[in-house]
Amino acid sequence: MSLKTIQAATGFKDYLPKEYQDLIDDGPFLQKRKVSELGSFKEALEEHPMCSGCAMTLFIRLCYVGFPSLEHTVLVGTAGCGRLAISQGAVPFVYGNYGDTNAVATGLKRGLEIRFKDQPKDVVVMAGDGGLADIGFHAVMHSWFRKEKFTTVMLDNEVYGNTGGQDSGMTQKGMVMKMAPTGKKFEKMDMLGLAKTAGVAYTARIAPTNPTRVANTIRKAVLIAREVGPTFIQAYTSCNIEYAIPTPKVMDDARAVEKDRYSFEEYFSDEAKAYWDESEKERKRLRKAKK
Amino acid sequence: MYAVAEIDAEICGATKCRLCTQFCPEGNTILYDETRGTAYVAVDRCKGCEICVGICDDLAKHHAIKMVPIDQVKEGFEISKVGFKRSLVESE
Ligand SMILES: Cc1ncc(C[n+]2csc(CCOP(=O)(O)OP(=O)(O)O)c2C)c(N)n1
Ligand code: SF4
Ligand code: SF4
Ligand code: SF4
Repeated sequence: MSLKTIQAATGFKDYLPKEYQDLIDDGPFLQKRKVSELGSFKEALEEHPMCSGCAMTLFIRLCYVGFPSLEHTVLVGTAGCGRLAISQGAVPFVYGNYGDTNAVATGLKRGLEIRFKDQPKDVVVMAGDGGLADIGFHAVMHSWFRKEKFTTVMLDNEVYGNTGGQDSGMTQKGMVMKMAPTGKKFEKMDMLGLAKTAGVAYTARIAPTNPTRVANTIRKAVLIAREVGPTFIQAYTSCNIEYAIPTPKVMDDARAVEKDRYSFEEYFSDEAKAYWDESEKERKRLRKAKK
Repeated sequence: MYAVAEIDAEICGATKCRLCTQFCPEGNTILYDETRGTAYVAVDRCKGCEICVGICDDLAKHHAIKMVPIDQVKEGFEISKVGFKRSLVESE
């Protein structure tokens, strides 16, 4: 994989779909794009069938802007709503079985490290709260205990959205869902606390209220995973269907939930902090040198 | 009948805003025309959620976006027909 892989072979460009030609001419591959440039370049995320006004869709869209090197990224997902979009992006996507995402990502990351010694390849797991905190729980935890160097992003809509409203470990206690008619019996799982206990290098809790912050947080998590160890992002990405949020109110809900119990919060291990501070200094130095 | 977002190029063009382009959940649905200095909508991609209306009204405070029934959209831009355009002026 390199930038060359997205270029068409001589004489073939005209025969490619328009969407693909646009990626070659105006895509995000040949130069790094910012959130503030959205609308002015062809995005890697193509049309997809996720619901109208879904906050998870917005979050995923912003992630594609945040990945530090799109052309060297492999995404791993599984059953659940998010994959409906992630499978329509111009970034390789591996569809793991429900539950084994972090085992698949482990093998993939290790294999890519052997195959491409001089070129870092970023592996990012993106899946729902059901996929990661319930059915994939053991694989997630063990990838963290083993200090596997990839990022796990939980699209936390606090429900099994894709299968019609079962409660997950991440649903809040007492919540009445279509398929939890007497209310969820247990507390929302503390995945961020578990991540810290398991030795994860960087964690972040975030809601999609500030697009630039979403992209920056993804970038940070992927870069720290590349150099230091496992990273974890837990993102509030409401399901407007199962939580009956009228779509014009989706951002109001995100802001209210963020204020109430989902504020932006980061954690760095000592090693991750030292690495990040050093790399920030280096970037500042390079920017100055450029001027 | 469903409605899609329509941006008033005159109101939007008087700002340097670019806020709704960052909050629309769909990729390449609100585009930004550098030449005309305005955001515009790919009507074939818009899913009618109205998130952009809230962003323009409440956050940007420019009130440039209205929802319009799809059969009343005049000369709506369709990205699936012509592909991505940096500016609609160039393509004319
Ligand atoms: C092993 C296995 N069990 C069950 C399913 C059915 N299934 C598909 S999607 C899904 C729920 C997804 O919920 P979550 O991971 O929270 O993602 P969301 O759809 O809410 O984004 C389930 C149970 C499956 N595909 N595989
Ligand atoms: S079911 Fe919920 S989480 Fe899934 S795409 Fe629809 S709104 Fe989004
Ligand atoms: S939020 Fe309103 S003023 Fe701002 S770019 Fe969008 S349409 Fe234009
Ligand atoms: S109505 Fe929704 S999908 Fe349509 S342009 Fe506005 S934010 Fe995007």
